[in-house]
Amino acid sequence: MKKIVCVKLENDMDLILAHKRAMKLCELTGFTLVAQTSIATAISEVARCAIEFGRNAEMVLAIEELSGKKMLMAVIQDTTDFTLRCIEANRYAERLVSNIEVVKTNRCYQVVLRQKLNYPGIITEAKLDLFKHHFEREPPLSPYDELRRKNLLLQELSDRIEKSENGYRILTDSLPLMMFSVDNRGVIKYTNKWLQHFLGRAPRELKFNDWKSFIYPDDHSNFNKELSNALARQTPLSGQYRLKQDASGEYLWHFFSVIPLKNEKDITAQWIGFVVDIHAQKLVEQTLKDNQLLKEIQNQLVDNQAALQDKVVQLNRSNYELEQFAHLASHDLQEPLRKLFFYSDVLRTRYSDMIDDRGSEILNNMTLAAGRMKELINDLLNYSQLQNQSLPVATVDLKLLLLEIIKDLDVTIKEKQAVLVVVDFPLLRGNPTRLRQLFTNLISNSLKYSRKDVRPVIEISESHDSEKITIQVKDNGIGFDAQYRNRIFGLFQRLHAKHEIPGTGIGLAICKKIVELHHGTISATSVPGEYSIFQIELPMLSESAPVSI
Amino acid sequence: MMSECQIVIVDDDREDQLILLEYFKESGTDNAIRFFSNGQRAIEYLTGLGETCALPKLIILDLNMPVMNGTETLLHIKRESRFCSIPVIIYSTSENETEKRKCLSLGAVEYLVKPSTNLDAQMMIRKFNAYLR
Repeated sequence: MKKIVCVKLENDMDLILAHKRAMKLCELTGFTLVAQTSIATAISEVARCAIEFGRNAEMVLAIEELSGKKMLMAVIQDTTDFTLRCIEANRYAERLVSNIEVVKTNRCYQVVLRQKLNYPGIITEAKLDLFKHHFEREPPLSPYDELRRKNLLLQELSDRIEKSENGYRILTDSLPLMMFSVDNRGVIKYTNKWLQHFLGRAPRELKFNDWKSFIYPDDHSNFNKELSNALARQTPLSGQYRLKQDASGEYLWHFFSVIPLKNEKDITAQWIGFVVDIHAQKLVEQTLKDNQLLKEIQNQLVDNQAALQDKVVQLNRSNYELEQFAHLASHDLQEPLRKLFFYSDVLRTRYSDMIDDRGSEILNNMTLAAGRMKELINDLLNYSQLQNQSLPVATVDLKLLLLEIIKDLDVTIKEKQAVLVVVDFPLLRGNPTRLRQLFTNLISNSLKYSRKDVRPVIEISESHDSEKITIQVKDNGIGFDAQYRNRIFGLFQRLHAKHEIPGTGIGLAICKKIVELHHGTISATSVPGEYSIFQIELPMLSESAPVSI
Repeated sequence: MMSECQIVIVDDDREDQLILLEYFKESGTDNAIRFFSNGQRAIEYLTGLGETCALPKLIILDLNMPVMNGTETLLHIKRESRFCSIPVIIYSTSENETEKRKCLSLGAVEYLVKPSTNLDAQMMIRKFNAYLR
């Protein structure tokens, strides 16, 4: 059955309308004017009864196909059984149409009139649509008809709106997204289910000004700033904040977006907010960031290791070079030097009668120069050996050690008529050989740099606590200018011409190295022409300290 | 067959060889000296000596030499039962105590530092000659 047009049957105006519609459809389907009138009259008869006895009757005109034959069909129906009251009308109508039938179903009572079609062509589906559209487009037959149509349309629209509103509500409630609207005074107008569930509050209990109780305290200042900005400029607010989940008490990351809705006067009447859970994304982000950081640290570590490796290689190489140098100094340099000594001595002893005084003097100078070179080589060798040696540590009686040194230097001390003053010392831990070298160098220096015509006095004193010992070697020698106090410990640093005071410029460098090997410090102060003080600070190593340094 | 050799001197330094030769000549023991410029040649010479040949009375070894140095040569000599009784004197430029101790522990009878004076050289020759008697 294809419905073509429908007419509500409520009053006489409707009856006229029903008649007119019936006439029109008959006309459209090719009935003669006589046939049109008969059929319309039959339909009107039944419709009149329906208006009179029914409650909300209507008439539907349709085209039906029955066993390959097309029929025009009019269904007059109501929710009350009006058919009992229109037997007379039916009987009358029966004579005018091919078939009339009373159908009673649950709460629907129908009188169905049918008339075989004599349409000259084929009535296609498209044609039926055309008939239908004809009635829809048909200008209203009367002001009443127009009113009626508009009412129907309005009814239909309101149904649709209700349906759509329900659809949206279901949608917003089922989305994993919080939504709300809030007016300018901060009164929450709408919240979806997700928001209510997440915050654990009924819509009535929610106040926008309560935001501090939902947002993570650390995010308050940011949120407040954004909110003030948005309110002042009436612009959208967006940002990432942690929001407290009621069920777990946990703060989860959310993306906030609150948009002002402006009315036609461009005034913000309310704000619509969307809050999306981005916690997982945030975690992934953080993890990636951490990974990145870890990777950077790892790279840095690899770089550092490589750099360290380079340094080690470099150090090993320079150590190796130093060893090579020590070897060279001990053998290859000493060898020609020894021959120089030997040949000049042979010259002096065996060929003396062939050399005059000037020749002897030159020979002497040559031997002296060779002697200086031998000293230099020995000092250098000493210094280079200090670079890469691990020194065994023992308990050292410094006073005993100093007395031994003084004995070794006996010749010079007597020659210079020097006075040496040595106090008592606590027992130390250190390398005896190197400590002996250290103090031998310092005392020799004091003897060497004594003032002419002033009897050298060298005082060696100490002060100590449980942590460290400070040893002073003080002389009354020529001293040095304060500006050289650091330089004098450098390799090959000499303050005097060789002919004034001989030396290799290595002695104090060796001293510094020895002190450093003992994890101590050495410094020097002086007043030129009065005194020099060399001060050594060494840690007091316990018996349980490492056995080598 | 070469004339019987009393002293084997192993030193790559030509000058030192000449100095030694001069001082030995002075002391009258020059005709029984053989010089080698490294340990390997000396060992070859020693192993090449016939069973009936008399062995040298003294071997003087420098330390710093190419091909086979002094300590290696000393080890070879002391390992060979045929030669291990020949006294070996090390004479070197090095005054290094460690080196000296090492050589003595390997079986050298003496460790002498090469001479720096005429007197040193004369004293050294006297020490060498003492082993020839």
